[in-house]
Amino acid sequence: MANKMVLDLTYNKYADVTYDEKEKLFEEAKSDGRWDHILYGCYECGICVAACPSARFYDFSPRIIAQAVAREDVDLIYTLMNDSIWDCSQCFSCDRCPRQNSPGQIITVLREVAVRNGLQTAKKALEGYGRIIYKIMSTGSQVSPDMLQPDAFPDWGKHVHEIADNLDVWRKALPPETLHTIETGWKVDEKTIIELYLIWHMTGVMDLIEGIDEGLFMILVDVMEERLEEAGYDVTFD
Amino acid sequence: MANQNILIIGGGVAGIEAAKGIADLGYKAILVEKRDRLGGNPDEQQYAALTPDMRDTETALNEMMAPILDNENVDIRYNTLVTGASGEAGNFKVKAVSMGKEIEIEAGAVIIATGFTHFDPGRETQKYGYYEHDDVITLTDAEKLLKAHNFVKPSNGEKPKRVCFIQCVGSRDRQIGNEYCSKVCCGISSKQAIEIRQQLPDCKVFIFYIDMRMYGYWENEIYWPAQEKYKVNYVKGMATEIVKKGDRLLVKGEDTTMRRPMEVPMDMVILAVGMEASEGTKLMAKYFGVKQNKYNFIETTGGPLDTVSTNVPGVFAAGACTGPADLEDSVSQAGLAGMKAIAAIRRNQAVPA
Amino acid sequence: MIHLPVSKASERIFKADPNNAPTHDIREELFQLEREGELEVIRVPEPYMEVRTKHGRMKKIPLEKTWHHKSCGQCGHIPGYSTSIFWLNRAFGLDYFDPTDQTSCTAWNYYASATSNPAAQAAVAVRNFAAAHEVGYFPLIHCGTSFGHYKEVRHALVHQHDLRRKVRDIMKRLGKKLVVPEEIVHYSEWVYAMRDRIAERQTVPMDMISATVHPACHYHKLIEEDAIYNEEIYGAQRSAIITGVLQKLGIDVKDYSTWFDCCGFGFRHILVSRDFSRSFSVQRKIEVMIEEANPDIVVTHDTGCVTTLDQSQVAGKAHDKKVGLPVISDSQMAALAMGAHPYKVLQMHWHNTDNKPFLRKLGLDQEKLWAEFQAECDKIKAGKMDFLTWEDAEK
Repeated sequence: MANKMVLDLTYNKYADVTYDEKEKLFEEAKSDGRWDHILYGCYECGICVAACPSARFYDFSPRIIAQAVAREDVDLIYTLMNDSIWDCSQCFSCDRCPRQNSPGQIITVLREVAVRNGLQTAKKALEGYGRIIYKIMSTGSQVSPDMLQPDAFPDWGKHVHEIADNLDVWRKALPPETLHTIETGWKVDEKTIIELYLIWHMTGVMDLIEGIDEGLFMILVDVMEERLEEAGYDVTFD
Repeated sequence: MANQNILIIGGGVAGIEAAKGIADLGYKAILVEKRDRLGGNPDEQQYAALTPDMRDTETALNEMMAPILDNENVDIRYNTLVTGASGEAGNFKVKAVSMGKEIEIEAGAVIIATGFTHFDPGRETQKYGYYEHDDVITLTDAEKLLKAHNFVKPSNGEKPKRVCFIQCVGSRDRQIGNEYCSKVCCGISSKQAIEIRQQLPDCKVFIFYIDMRMYGYWENEIYWPAQEKYKVNYVKGMATEIVKKGDRLLVKGEDTTMRRPMEVPMDMVILAVGMEASEGTKLMAKYFGVKQNKYNFIETTGGPLDTVSTNVPGVFAAGACTGPADLEDSVSQAGLAGMKAIAAIRRNQAVPA
Repeated sequence: MIHLPVSKASERIFKADPNNAPTHDIREELFQLEREGELEVIRVPEPYMEVRTKHGRMKKIPLEKTWHHKSCGQCGHIPGYSTSIFWLNRAFGLDYFDPTDQTSCTAWNYYASATSNPAAQAAVAVRNFAAAHEVGYFPLIHCGTSFGHYKEVRHALVHQHDLRRKVRDIMKRLGKKLVVPEEIVHYSEWVYAMRDRIAERQTVPMDMISATVHPACHYHKLIEEDAIYNEEIYGAQRSAIITGVLQKLGIDVKDYSTWFDCCGFGFRHILVSRDFSRSFSVQRKIEVMIEEANPDIVVTHDTGCVTTLDQSQVAGKAHDKKVGLPVISDSQMAALAMGAHPYKVLQMHWHNTDNKPFLRKLGLDQEKLWAEFQAECDKIKAGKMDFLTWEDAEK
């Protein structure tokens, strides 16, 4: 990942993108059902920055994001949507805003817009995250025991090796019945997974995945369509 | 024949001024005060100096009260609490408990001057820890220390080397519900900052703010001298947390000029708590059927063009019971209310009983 | 003694007035919607305990008939965390349900990647609520992320009728109803409600232990009015969660200047921008705790927080940072206090930072206990038993 230490807010950063295109994305964000409850006005007090963990590590400012959307500064918003929003750690300390803005939720909406529109920077931010998406979408469980591999978590030290070596026995040495699993966090009913796939289908979530990683989308869709067919559902994700 | 008395509820700055004006014009004022002395918040909270001219509060209040203390036109009832009201313009009957006895006062017009109460910092959205840290205090706490000429840390009685003010505590906040600006805190904090610098020349003083509200002459009378003569550090950026670190407090905020989070050690933090409607204001509104605004202050009916009339004919309001008010507001409104109350009485005289 | 005209903090008492709360009571809004036929509310079953929340309102915490909404991360790689919650319920003989008809809340993915939308998130939540309701139990949420997210979902469902309609339709196609629980309850609130009873059954003294507490951001910052506050703890200026429990167990809870700080989990960061999580948790949390409080252990109440604080210390050590604080959950501490086996129940071997010194300081024979667990593992390896059962674990 490139070392982009300082946030470049100059107006000619994304000059090659048309104003109309940038405005369309902002309009999409504004039309979200949450927008009126997460953005009011901003008097630049900086409480959001004061409480923000990402502001201490990155050149990141929830205040600048809130100011940009409050001013409807389309160019600045486009820059932030590309270069800034993925630094947010979604802790919602910024919900302390006295105007009752939620810069964290504003960022969530901007991220959804970025993902929906397949922005390059969104794809880049989610590089390496694909296996998690695969896990959550297909099994309804974000972390499974078999994901504890040393190559996946090299900075967690040799302890991960110990776990990986003993995984099979240690999972059986767990009193709760539902935890005797390797590929999922807990035992899930087939019917439950099917209901989950149907929810993804009815809410258009797979389209979002297609937008950021087509390969992943195709693998997932294969798995899901097959399982749905076995359960008697004639459903396709296209 | 309509009653000629004008009842003034509340013996603070507004109440005193109203009584003085009414008496000066030859009419009778009955001034009821729930405490055993006059002076309202400036007296009860032991304000040190007034904003903006830095006059000693006690001296100024005594000067203000003097004309009404031995005045045949002003009937002051101490330890008197209003408990109910009925009637209408020209003929109000007000119940009260005075020195333990139940009494009834008749008046032709009423002026509500029940003032304000300070915001309780326990309800603040940010984590200021007023109830956890000895050395986090409010503006009123600071006034008491300044008046006693003993501005020291409550935790150990030592003189502080670094003190900061945090503005807008309890005001301008949608989450708390007090969306308004309390008007006086920027001026008061700056005044206190000057006093601290005068009493403790070695102490550094900071003010963390969103905007500095320095209306009219406050700009050149307080703000500029605070910065230029007394070197008070004004930092545009708010604080969100106050925690204990070692034997000092750590204030976490953003210095928006530097565009980055700041964490600064302080010996004392003064919370600039705002104004809220007092218990007395809420009760009087209920007893007299007077409309309140959404913040529970008394709603005056004329916007900026009539700052004292309420929806009840014959009942007026003056001072901070109508909303955030500084001394100039309270005194001016009191004069206006006194005038309108007298006019109401005179109009009623023309109408047969 | 100095006599000042200003009080000290210990003399200042803050009383929240629930009638003066700045927000609408969302539970009343839920019941109103139920009256209008918009949704169905799952009532908190008896027996329950009422606890005070931020603005002075009371929140009902069910003690029994709980449906355990499990956490991905806990079950995936810190299974002693989930196990300890079940163990506590079993120790008190409470009727609880551990479902297989449960999906992840999917919120970790949502906050990490935004590859979802409000309708999907709400539908996943309601599907789980409906599954609990169908078997007659009340959802108890194991994870802080799920808890925070479900509060958000509840808020969105109450305030956006379009979303309600969409979710109702989705549920209908799944043969379910739009149901929302009366309260969103986190398991640590259950532990807090049970703290007196836990202390009564304490067999392992903990007076020699000091601990620092880390509250999860999504517990006390996201829709913060729903968190537990207690006038006797921190003057009701900070949540009493976890602290209330540890104090009852006799543990010395020590303060530190980054108490409010996030652990640095970051959802996406812990997986793909790990320098942030590592740096933040070591430099802003662990090092500060050690320097200012020097506790024996860190206690928190969320999956992500345990993970980040625990695992980041490896990288910290490699950089010669002052690290080495074991991290566990309040449920594990409570179970340990009541005599639960550190390996068969707490499953301490899944935690990274060395917790053996902590166990020894408690006076436990750590080596003997590990040997007992190893013996069970050997039996499994040798095919003499399939799984470790509750009976084995409770011996």
